[in-house]
Amino acid sequence: MAATLLALRDVTKRFGEATALAPTNLEIAEGSFVAIVGPSGCGKSTLFNVIAGLLRPDAGEVRLEGELVTGATGHVGYMLQKDLLVPWRTVEDNITMAARLTRRVTNADRLEARRVATEYGLGEFLRHYPSALSGGMRQRVALMRTLVTHQPLLLLDEPFGALDAQTRLEMQQWLLRVWRDTGRTVLFITHDVDESLFLADRVLVMSPRPGRVVADFANPLSRPRTMETLTDPIFIELKSQVMRLLHGGQR
Amino acid sequence: MSRKLLRNVGVPLLSLLVLGGLWQAIVVGFHIAPYIAPRPMQAIDAVTSNWSTLWPLALGTIRETVYGFLVGAALGVFFGVIMAKVPVLQRSVYPVLVLSQAVPIIALAPPLVLILGFGVTPKIVIVAWIVFFPVTVNVVDGLSHVDQDLVNLARVYGAPRWRTFLQIEVPATTTPLFSGLKIGATYAVTGAIIGEGASGSYGSSLALYQVHANSNLDAAAVYGTTMLMTAIGITWFLLVVATEVAVTPWQRRSVARQPLRRRGVASAGEGTSIGSTPLKGES
Repeated sequence: MAATLLALRDVTKRFGEATALAPTNLEIAEGSFVAIVGPSGCGKSTLFNVIAGLLRPDAGEVRLEGELVTGATGHVGYMLQKDLLVPWRTVEDNITMAARLTRRVTNADRLEARRVATEYGLGEFLRHYPSALSGGMRQRVALMRTLVTHQPLLLLDEPFGALDAQTRLEMQQWLLRVWRDTGRTVLFITHDVDESLFLADRVLVMSPRPGRVVADFANPLSRPRTMETLTDPIFIELKSQVMRLLHGGQR
Repeated sequence: MSRKLLRNVGVPLLSLLVLGGLWQAIVVGFHIAPYIAPRPMQAIDAVTSNWSTLWPLALGTIRETVYGFLVGAALGVFFGVIMAKVPVLQRSVYPVLVLSQAVPIIALAPPLVLILGFGVTPKIVIVAWIVFFPVTVNVVDGLSHVDQDLVNLARVYGAPRWRTFLQIEVPATTTPLFSGLKIGATYAVTGAIIGEGASGSYGSSLALYQVHANSNLDAAAVYGTTMLMTAIGITWFLLVVATEVAVTPWQRRSVARQPLRRRGVASAGEGTSIGSTPLKGES
């Protein structure tokens, strides 16, 4: 069993009267790919913002590699559905953005940006501005920008939510390749059950009012995952279990 | 390329020519007396034949316009930034700035001349007074509409606030900043001329030249001077536009130009070899 990378202990967050996140305990193993599914308003993004340090929890603590990081930033890679590429920088300069925001950009940063972009098929677009790229390419640049921060934990909040189905499937496969190549730990928010089961080793289901984790599934589907995975009986069975949890109250 | 040039320069020039033609047609068609309105060419001639007198005066107006604009732009950015960053200042300073714009600028000029004398200073103050406001308004709007997700992303990276400001907030505000500067640029020359007019008969300036031409019933010189003042305003506006084009290449280009200098990296060899060599080494 791999070591624990991230540990949450009794993390709680309220906004006024509403409990956005009920006391939550969570351990994420190093190198794992964990998906969080849940309807909107279930506290997924609040959980992410607490882990990223953007929100300070009302109670509880966040530990990364054993170190207390509650309410502190600068410890994780973070990516949203919006690519958040800055239009005034080229692809290369967008990839090196984290370095530019924290220190001087070095030649090593630029070389790495070029290496990553070349390796993942955007080598010819290094000097392009983001406006010249398609949605899928922009998300890829955003993920590269997240990768070169060298943070062990990547928080991806519905990164492919705005893409069309075709591009989305390509991006999912590409993300799995990047994950395998780099050995990072990924925490992936989605409200798409198929996506969570296709990508992750472990699927957490959250439910709203108050936001909390209601189920924790291990996903035994073998890797590499392909199109066939989507029709595997185990996949179908897991999917129906997760769906029952998500929509159980409405039936 | 030449088609683009034709569209960007040719079409505006054509509309100017049409305007001149209209002027000509009205003056000729309605038999307007030459002491009321000259023909366009007469007005232009009144400028070119007196160029040696007019150019030093125009130079004075240009100086007032440019200095006043630069002071106003700097003040505008300063007020914009502090008001966007400090909410208390936005509530307390903003009303005062709005008040400053409600004062009729023509009524403001004479007391300024009394206080600051007949030199270039009151003109610069008047121009700056007019220019700073649209800049401030646009900078405040621009800074308060920067994508908060982007600012949060910078925070997640652990960026200090000043770096986030310089790397994210400032570039994100370029478009509104230049909107303010362009509005300011068109008003700047007006401010300079008002300042010149308020200096009475003291000294020499484009505004006084026009007043003298007017009292001599020299309509061609009056219209010509107006055209010259307008030309100064347009030229300054175009220079501001050119600056915007130069500093915002991403708004027109899809690929960046090769940088003129790139510390170190360029000397290691440019292009694909850089991307692929370390790749081989690692795999």
